[in-house]
Amino acid sequence: MPQYFDRRNLDFLLYEVHDAPELTKYLYFEAHDRETFDLVLDSVTQIADTLMHPHYRDVDRNPPELKDGKVTVHPQIKPFLKAVGEGGLIGAGFPFGKGGQQLPEMVGACVDFIQMAANNGMMYTGLTSGAANLIATFGSPALVDAYVAKMLGGQWQGTMALTEPQAGSSLSDITTTAEPQPDGSYRITGQKVFISAGDLDAVDNVVHLMLVRIKGAPKGTKGISLFVVPKFRLEEDGSFVDNDVTSTGIYHKLGQRGTPAMHLTMGDRGDCHGWLLGEANRGLSYMFQMMNEARIAVGITGAAIASAAYCASLEYARERPQSRRLNEKNQLDSPQTMIINHPDVKRMLLFQKAIVEGSLSLLLESARLSDLAHVSKGEEKENYTLLLELLTPVAKTFPTEMGVRSVNEGLQVLGGYGFTEDFPLEQMYRDIRITTIYEGTTGIQSQDLLGRKMTIQGGKAPRLLFAEIDKTITEANTHETLQPYAKMLGEEIQRLQKVTSTLLPFAQQGDYERFLMDATLYMELFGLVTVAWQWLKQGIVAQNALSDNSPGESNTDFYEGKIQTMKYYFHYEVPKTLGLAKRLQDPEVLTIVKEREVKM
Amino acid sequence: MKILVCITSVPDTTAKISFTQDNTQFNKTGVQFIIGPYDDYALARAVELKEQHGGSLTVLNVGTSDSDPQIRKALAIGADDAIRIDTEPTDSYFVAAQIAEIAQKNSYDLILMGRESIDFNSGVVHGLVGEMLGIPSYSPVMKLEITDGKAEFAREIDGGKEFLEADLPLVLGCQEPIAEWKIPNMRGIMTARSKPLNVVPATPMDDLTVLKKYTLPAPKGECKMIAAEDAEQLIALLRTEAKVL
Repeated sequence: MPQYFDRRNLDFLLYEVHDAPELTKYLYFEAHDRETFDLVLDSVTQIADTLMHPHYRDVDRNPPELKDGKVTVHPQIKPFLKAVGEGGLIGAGFPFGKGGQQLPEMVGACVDFIQMAANNGMMYTGLTSGAANLIATFGSPALVDAYVAKMLGGQWQGTMALTEPQAGSSLSDITTTAEPQPDGSYRITGQKVFISAGDLDAVDNVVHLMLVRIKGAPKGTKGISLFVVPKFRLEEDGSFVDNDVTSTGIYHKLGQRGTPAMHLTMGDRGDCHGWLLGEANRGLSYMFQMMNEARIAVGITGAAIASAAYCASLEYARERPQSRRLNEKNQLDSPQTMIINHPDVKRMLLFQKAIVEGSLSLLLESARLSDLAHVSKGEEKENYTLLLELLTPVAKTFPTEMGVRSVNEGLQVLGGYGFTEDFPLEQMYRDIRITTIYEGTTGIQSQDLLGRKMTIQGGKAPRLLFAEIDKTITEANTHETLQPYAKMLGEEIQRLQKVTSTLLPFAQQGDYERFLMDATLYMELFGLVTVAWQWLKQGIVAQNALSDNSPGESNTDFYEGKIQTMKYYFHYEVPKTLGLAKRLQDPEVLTIVKEREVKM
Repeated sequence: MKILVCITSVPDTTAKISFTQDNTQFNKTGVQFIIGPYDDYALARAVELKEQHGGSLTVLNVGTSDSDPQIRKALAIGADDAIRIDTEPTDSYFVAAQIAEIAQKNSYDLILMGRESIDFNSGVVHGLVGEMLGIPSYSPVMKLEITDGKAEFAREIDGGKEFLEADLPLVLGCQEPIAEWKIPNMRGIMTARSKPLNVVPATPMDDLTVLKKYTLPAPKGECKMIAAEDAEQLIALLRTEAKVL
């Protein structure tokens, strides 16, 4: 079976770098140990190997269809949802009292990574888990009883219904309306677009977590409420009735074709009912709980697709003979060499490995912060939360933006074959493209990083981050071989701080357009440095293993591979910060619209 | 009904195999271990039979603590408890004798295992256990039902299948499609931690087998490309190099 992720690397990051078993010292996670984590990962791999990965191509070639108001999805979706629902994987991270097993986010992130690497077109369960979590957290006991168990069991699908035709990134402009009814429900009217898994025949019901404006609510984000709007509503007599949510259109997408993206219309017959979740007008803050989880999940998807592409291109490069080595190119009687032996191909493979494994490490770092924030209290909790908030837009953006480039290099390794349907790279190239767009585009994430996260509480979050990075630098300095990289990372932090201090005065002067004009470039710089930190962390663990133990031949290869990839990242990727820093400090302004517009 | 399922802990089918100490020791470094795939079929059917008929399901492994993750997986899949006979499984007779010793004490109605392990593939343990216990044994069994205290089962034979019926107790070596492999669910994984795993010492025995050395098969030769229309060259190479004609 073709490989789509490296379990050895996953174990390395989860156990050796980020020390997941350390979490089991906390009361909340004490029911777990490394053995339960391993069993979970084994089970998910078995599901991914048997129910997901074999259908990667077929799910893409046979996308969902909307006919006579009904959406038919690939027949493999139903057994997959049954397996993960019955397997308890959808709600594995939920508390024991809410139908879950209190699995740490770190392990949950690995679960998502394996599934998305196997077949990212089947992206159903994360949506259901997030939606169910919102109901479990903010819903009345009646709502929790009615919905959560069915959703976690995989019988009902969950969605996040935010976007409207006129309100994509600008959620303050949504117009879907709710009118209070005497029975306590609300009558919903409006439209939602791009609703992933918004309708499908593989489940008995679809439960939309919908942002809606209650009639008379204040304008802007302060007037948005969160509603549960099911496809079929449960009547008092226990029967299910059509809730007047119509599938009006289905989008024909570039990638991730296994999951339908729907255009939904609510209240065509005036009979669409919704139930308010939590307090009125606080919907957006509630939804951000799901949105932040979803942003990390999108980052995981980016890293996962890049992982599958890396595995496929590595396998090809090891088996495809072509030409002789550059120093032997005139020796035409000698056999052709495998393309992995060509320096440019090796560079492309190292680039992919550096991006995939660096991204995954950053994502697990974020998941670890989420777990620690969950189990700690007081100032400690506040610090973990701040760090997580700072890293969330980076953990969404770096794995997706760099993932797109990584898959591009993977396709390039295959040459002309990469452009054909005979190999999976073309599909991966299409699939990963959406990840820089949904749950907040790269532009939105970048504005969030620079415009909000860098400045909250007087810049406390970046101070905490730089202190963490300093600890890693100090540790790396104990190894002579890592000292040059520790020094480089220290210089990069200084460069990042200098760039930040050049930009912050614009915000202090109230010129936000100038402040955020190149936020995306700032994000790129920030991401490069943050992942350099993650690579130095991996380098320390690898160096410790090589220095202290007798790791055995295969482990020695693995750890030496880590050191080599860390070096690649520092020598090839990190220097790109120079150009970014130069531009970010350049006083020339070319993108802000002026009174007399320069013609494009 | 009391069911015993014997499982082996074997290298993953994709693991790279190497040897150390002058080719006398299997190098376990970096090797992923799994429940023997045929044992996994036996376990899956045993879980189904327990669900249908009630009773108890015990898994047994002859091995060191290195096997504990595979035993925990079997508990997560649905076994009630486990016994590990704490010793290196040196050869088939030794393993069979250890299993028989436990089975003798506990009077199981049904003893299931894979038709063979996938490391040494000797495929004789089920027969030896049956002989040692004085009860029938059959292998390879691909279908199994229990009705009114009798086992009805199908066994693969040369050129077809044999349908048999036998009284319990008996020993069966299993293979696909007796059941589909089961994937542990979250609840099973969590409850596996609290299920009993009893570690017992091995019954002392003389070594009947002395391992002298391991050798790996010769590596695959390079592929030779022959023009499609050149059948003569193909025949010549099959005669002179491959020596299969």
